[in-house]
Amino acid sequence: MTAPQVELRNMTKRFGANLALNNVSLLIRSGTVHALLGENGAGKSTLVKCLVGFYHPDEGHIQVDGREHRLNSPKDADALGIGMVYQHFTLVPSMTVAQNLVVSGARLPAYINWQSELRRLAEVTKKLPFHVPLDVRVSQLSAGEKQKAEIVKQLYLGRKLLILDEPTSVLTPAEADEVLGHVRSLTRTGVLSAILISHKFHEVRRFADDVTVLRRGASVRTGAVADLTDDALAEAMIGEPVSKIVQHAPKSPPRSDIILSISDLRVNGDNGLPAVKDLSLEVRAGEIVGIAGVSGNGQLELVEALMGQRDRSGTMTVSGSPFNGTRREIARLGVYGLPQEPLKNACIDRMSLAENLALRNFDRVPLCRGIAMNYGALAQQAERLVAQFRVKAPSLTASMSTLSGGNVQRAVLARELTQDVRLLVASNPTFGLDFVACEETYRRILEARNRGTAVLLISEDLDELLGLVDRVLVMSAGRIVHEVSAEGADKRVIGKYMAGMKAA
Amino acid sequence: MDSTSIGWFSLPLAILGGAIRVSTPFIFVSIGELITEKSGRINLGLEGTLMLGAMAGYAISYLSGSPWLGVLSAGLAGMAFGLLHGLLCSVKRVNDTAIGISLIVLGTGLAFFLGKPLIEPKAPPLPSIGLGFWSTVPQVRAALDVNALFFVGIALAFAVYLFLNRTGWGLMLRTVGDSEDAARALGFPVLRVRIIATMAGGFLAGIGGSFLSLSYPGSWSEGLSSGQGIMAVALVIFARWRSVNALGASLLFGGAGALGPALQGIGVTGYYYLFNAAPYILTLAIMVASTSRAAPFADAPGELKLHR
Amino acid sequence: MSSISGIEPGPSSPPVTAAQLGLALPVLAVLLASAIFAAFVALYGQNPVTVFGLIVQGGFGSSFAWQDTLSRAAPLVLVGLAVAIPAQAGLVIIGGEGALVLGGLAGAVVTLPFAGAHALPMQLLMSLAGALIGGLWFGLAGVLRQYRGLNETISSLLLSYIGIAIFHHLTEGLLRDPASLDKPSTHPIDPSYMLPVMPGVGVHAGLAASLSLAVIAHVVLRYTRWGFALRVVGGSARVAKMMGLAVNRWIIGASVVAGGMAGIAGAIEVAAVQGTANSSLIVGYGYSGILVAFLARHQPLAIVAVALLIGGMQASASLLQRRLGLPDATMLVFQGLIFVCVLVADAIAQQLRETTRR
Repeated sequence: MTAPQVELRNMTKRFGANLALNNVSLLIRSGTVHALLGENGAGKSTLVKCLVGFYHPDEGHIQVDGREHRLNSPKDADALGIGMVYQHFTLVPSMTVAQNLVVSGARLPAYINWQSELRRLAEVTKKLPFHVPLDVRVSQLSAGEKQKAEIVKQLYLGRKLLILDEPTSVLTPAEADEVLGHVRSLTRTGVLSAILISHKFHEVRRFADDVTVLRRGASVRTGAVADLTDDALAEAMIGEPVSKIVQHAPKSPPRSDIILSISDLRVNGDNGLPAVKDLSLEVRAGEIVGIAGVSGNGQLELVEALMGQRDRSGTMTVSGSPFNGTRREIARLGVYGLPQEPLKNACIDRMSLAENLALRNFDRVPLCRGIAMNYGALAQQAERLVAQFRVKAPSLTASMSTLSGGNVQRAVLARELTQDVRLLVASNPTFGLDFVACEETYRRILEARNRGTAVLLISEDLDELLGLVDRVLVMSAGRIVHEVSAEGADKRVIGKYMAGMKAA
Repeated sequence: MDSTSIGWFSLPLAILGGAIRVSTPFIFVSIGELITEKSGRINLGLEGTLMLGAMAGYAISYLSGSPWLGVLSAGLAGMAFGLLHGLLCSVKRVNDTAIGISLIVLGTGLAFFLGKPLIEPKAPPLPSIGLGFWSTVPQVRAALDVNALFFVGIALAFAVYLFLNRTGWGLMLRTVGDSEDAARALGFPVLRVRIIATMAGGFLAGIGGSFLSLSYPGSWSEGLSSGQGIMAVALVIFARWRSVNALGASLLFGGAGALGPALQGIGVTGYYYLFNAAPYILTLAIMVASTSRAAPFADAPGELKLHR
Repeated sequence: MSSISGIEPGPSSPPVTAAQLGLALPVLAVLLASAIFAAFVALYGQNPVTVFGLIVQGGFGSSFAWQDTLSRAAPLVLVGLAVAIPAQAGLVIIGGEGALVLGGLAGAVVTLPFAGAHALPMQLLMSLAGALIGGLWFGLAGVLRQYRGLNETISSLLLSYIGIAIFHHLTEGLLRDPASLDKPSTHPIDPSYMLPVMPGVGVHAGLAASLSLAVIAHVVLRYTRWGFALRVVGGSARVAKMMGLAVNRWIIGASVVAGGMAGIAGAIEVAAVQGTANSSLIVGYGYSGILVAFLARHQPLAIVAVALLIGGMQASASLLQRRLGLPDATMLVFQGLIFVCVLVADAIAQQLRETTRR
């Protein structure tokens, strides 16, 4: 088996108005690991999905071993020996590794004699540098073993170009080293070529031969890893500050009263494993504390725990009082939120716009007297908020699901920020918004801050963060790993912490 | 049959015999539902399928003189109903639970309507095999007089085990039900697999229904089924989606269902209705017990979305 | 539909509004079901026009028919509410039959120790007893769901069967009136306690009670903050938690209230029609109530209209039997067809609602 050389030239892909890939070219040399580096939304997964036939590029060429190919479907990619190991496993959890291998095979036999199949599989997998137990159910494997099984599956299927999408995000450092070490030795022995999507510099440096850095859909740097320093990589990944017109109100010094205090917070993720580990932080009145980090490092779980949607252990107090997320506490202590994906996380999609705008105060005067709701007042409030925040909708009674994403967010802003907000927890609030909506959101958050609100802003956009916050915390693997004041913060240093480096 | 005096021993015998008898429809319905759920769908409408199967089986047995032809027709009727369920649940945004309930109404209605002329006539029942021939005690003989369909049920449990674990079709079914992502990545026709699985489930449920009307002495009435369809869903959870477990669980349910009549047989008439409620109480109890475990739905097909 | 002042409507304002769809699709569904039913009876050698004519006549053709329909509609409204109220909270509870019969039993025995009292307090006592038992029964399903993750559809149906078994056990055993030989019943209640027939309408006062409860349910759901909170919980328990609503309490509370409705239905049947608790109480109101609720899209006022429709259909069953020899099950088939068609129409409506996003 000779590892292929794959060249991508002038790859361009648009989704509506969004230019996801902008004239990207890169060369994967035969028998090498080529890393793809970039922040979320930089275009990495779009690029590889073109390579495995899920997307059709609007422009561009793909050459394998010097011959041009059109990849119209995953089957075409299959035929060329291109395979992908996803971030989320595509193994069937209730079946054993062996059963998974058999079910993925090109021909699924009608009757399976497991004894002979197991023997055959053992033969094939014996030649691989690492081993996975064949007759253990996938659901019982550790994350590292699952990842190895995924790779074994690709090799069993005869892949020659292996694309690994953030393969180590769920692995311990030791497992990550093992898996990537094996991949590298497979490329070195000419069995395959590999593309490694990662945001971790140390991985790239240790296991990749070449690297291409993507930013906002364009390739900004490409070359041998040995020729590029970490600083160069970080700079390429994060880039110079874009001239966003972020209105900074003069940063008044934060007051001394601590509004939010979290200590030893521990939150489990959906898989039962800890996603947030022993996290402690404080936010004072009139200060914006930002949490930077690549998505998937526990931010979602942290926000859900703060909003009372997920169980947690540890203490959380607001203005000194314990906070458990009851409606009374929310109103009394003034805790409000701007979550990401607002339609799903902050709105009832089948209720109307006017009703959604009333979710916080439908049971208070003037919207409600005693138990009777005053829908006239509710509509008036909706009209006022819609005008004030410029929410575009077919009508006040239109169901929330008919609004565009930006308008949903405007509505949520309108609802949350017009309360008596002492603590605001915002999570990627501008994700998916157009420029004007972004600016509005920033302005409103700053206004709230200036009124004395304590703001905790979790964002994957470092530019946005640094333009707004007073203090930056970096979250990685469920913990706060770095803290620095925003004034004079070095983005490249922060970038390195985001990327999982132990010391600057 | 005059009863020989064998004292208290007659009670467990009656329960055994009753368990075998009452478990037979459970075996078929639960294994049928198991297949459907393995593909990622829950069919709550089996109650209707059961009644339809019972009616169709009785009707064809009467008309043709062959109970086995009746059983086959019952299966086909159930399969048609399963197809209906499969198609309806394939409509986007449809409420699967409500569809199941609606099919209970429709199926029961059709069964009662079409079965009206069948209340009087007598259809040939399914044969039974007298395994107690070696005994002279009538109670033993009665208890071990096992319906032929029971043996088919046992064979079915093992056949389905082989199907799910040793055939390519079975692996494909399990992939579709456990991880739709993986199934799509492998190019499996998810919708088609689910509809076929629901049809297979309906076929088996129909056969289970035919037992209700064709097991000796055999009759058709509107009270034949009472909740077996729903209990089958709980039974499948309890059996952790394994067909051989479902066999054992069916026997357990059968025993619970036989408790009432058996006790009546030895003269305990006091709590008749409460004993007859034993299967439902048992079902609730096992459902509560199942969800109390650390990982209650660890063995559930992933696409059933039972993990909260 | 006018847009909000100062803001232009988007390019794809839907030509048909959601409200219009909400009304049209169920009607279309009933029409489709009727067409299929017509074909079905035609296959049986019956003239569909005759059949439909008899349905209308049997349910609504004479004052006698109306009385029959209305007295059937009374419990249907309540059992429909028993399904609809939890549905607002996102639950599908279908155990109405069990709650109804147990409520009827409670109502039948609770006044037995009292002799010579005034009718009204006794009637209220019966309703209360029915409501408590029914509420307990549904509440159990709600608790099992919230604290054990048990599917409430399955558990409520199982509880219904268990409830019916308990009913039989008690009416034929402990609570049995020795004088009731052919049909085991509880001691009949004092005739003076029975609900009076409403003058002019010719139907018992239980109808007024159910209509009142439907109106109250409508008002609570639509105009109070409780109804609002319940709809939030039913829309998204997750977002409801973020808003600080105590989701468990709302869900279990809705279950209890709903069960109370079914229990009252049983008590009313005893207090107005039967005078005693026996197997005549177990006629399938609980199951018809499920259809009523779904067809009415779980809206209390629509439930009244649909209960009339279904009540009329069931009232006409005996006419169809006498004139055309069609069995009772005919109506069950028709109801099943309507149910299926309404569900599919609902799914399509939902899809249309979602595709009018801009």
